[in-house]
Amino acid sequence: MISTMRTENNTLINELLTITDACTASAKNFRQLPPDMLNFKEAPERWSILECLEHLNRYGDYYLPEIEKAIMSGKTSNNPLTFSSGVLGNYFANLMKVKGGKIIRMKTPADKNPAGSELTPITIDRFIKQQEKLRSLLEQARKVDLTGTKVPISLTRFLKLRAGDTFRFFVYHIERHIRQAEKAKESAGRRSVVESQ
Amino acid sequence: MSTGDPAEGFQRNTFDIKLQSLFLSAGETKTVSKGDFLISEGEIERKLYLVESGAVRVFYLTEFEEMTVRLGYKGSLITSLSSFINGTPSEFYIDAIRRTTVKSISKEALHALVNASTVNLKDYASLLESLITQQIEREIDLLISSPAERLERVLQRSPHLFQEIPLKYIASYLRMTPETLSRIRKS
Repeated sequence: MISTMRTENNTLINELLTITDACTASAKNFRQLPPDMLNFKEAPERWSILECLEHLNRYGDYYLPEIEKAIMSGKTSNNPLTFSSGVLGNYFANLMKVKGGKIIRMKTPADKNPAGSELTPITIDRFIKQQEKLRSLLEQARKVDLTGTKVPISLTRFLKLRAGDTFRFFVYHIERHIRQAEKAKESAGRRSVVESQ
Repeated sequence: MSTGDPAEGFQRNTFDIKLQSLFLSAGETKTVSKGDFLISEGEIERKLYLVESGAVRVFYLTEFEEMTVRLGYKGSLITSLSSFINGTPSEFYIDAIRRTTVKSISKEALHALVNASTVNLKDYASLLESLITQQIEREIDLLISSPAERLERVLQRSPHLFQEIPLKYIASYLRMTPETLSRIRKS
């Protein structure tokens, strides 16, 4: 786990790539599940697998183009780069990080709340494409100054975080909702075991 | 392939009639519900479909949106064309916009018909020529900057489009927002 202040670009990127690849693998497994499991909700306010992924897709719709803009315009170097976390960015990243297997529930902005939308397995395919895009951006980021390059957050363009923190926040956010989707899958599995007895 | 109106692009030659009877005699009937897929990205397309009733959408999925590239309704021939021709993984999805019945024939059945006679071979060649021309028309569609003009071109080819297909898919096909399309139609 990255400790707060300074780390080498490659160390950061490698950690984030490992998490990203694990999340992509989970999504590919979800793709094999039947629709009733994908849409299973343990309770009305709990999200189904598809709702978790659609939520992530909506964040990706904002962040992937913004991150790409930043990476394209950011200063680069062929020398090994280090990343220094900003105070606010570090706070947001740590807020998202899944710790000890527990998921703390948080309020979701209305436009990022997928509940009630028409969801199909295409949601999973779209998520996997976003993951591939993310992977590509992470690789490109190795040579970019992730401290000096800034990305505005989705809530307001007036607040910008260091690109390295944006990546951390974004990847940890995905990890947390994939965990949530895995739990929904387990509940759905238990339910069908009960029903078949 | 064709956006569906039999008046558009489709030469009523003898091959077309033979193709229709091939579908009638050897075609497998299949009914799908709204939202069901005929093919997904990555699968290999082995079938050519004739839409008997309902409507289908061929789309390309990016990280950010589903982009409609073809629409089909009664009388349309639909397939994931590059996959069908080359046996390579489909780049496209084909799904039913509403409850749809299709007849399908296999690649083998089509090739058997095509190779059955020199006449069939020639007719197939002109079918392909007309298809290429339609593709170029479509390419020009996408280069035209005026949304109203894009709409006009497609309506010329498929006058019944709005009766068959929901607005949001037509808007995607025309590369504009549903709001823009509504506004153009009103003026």
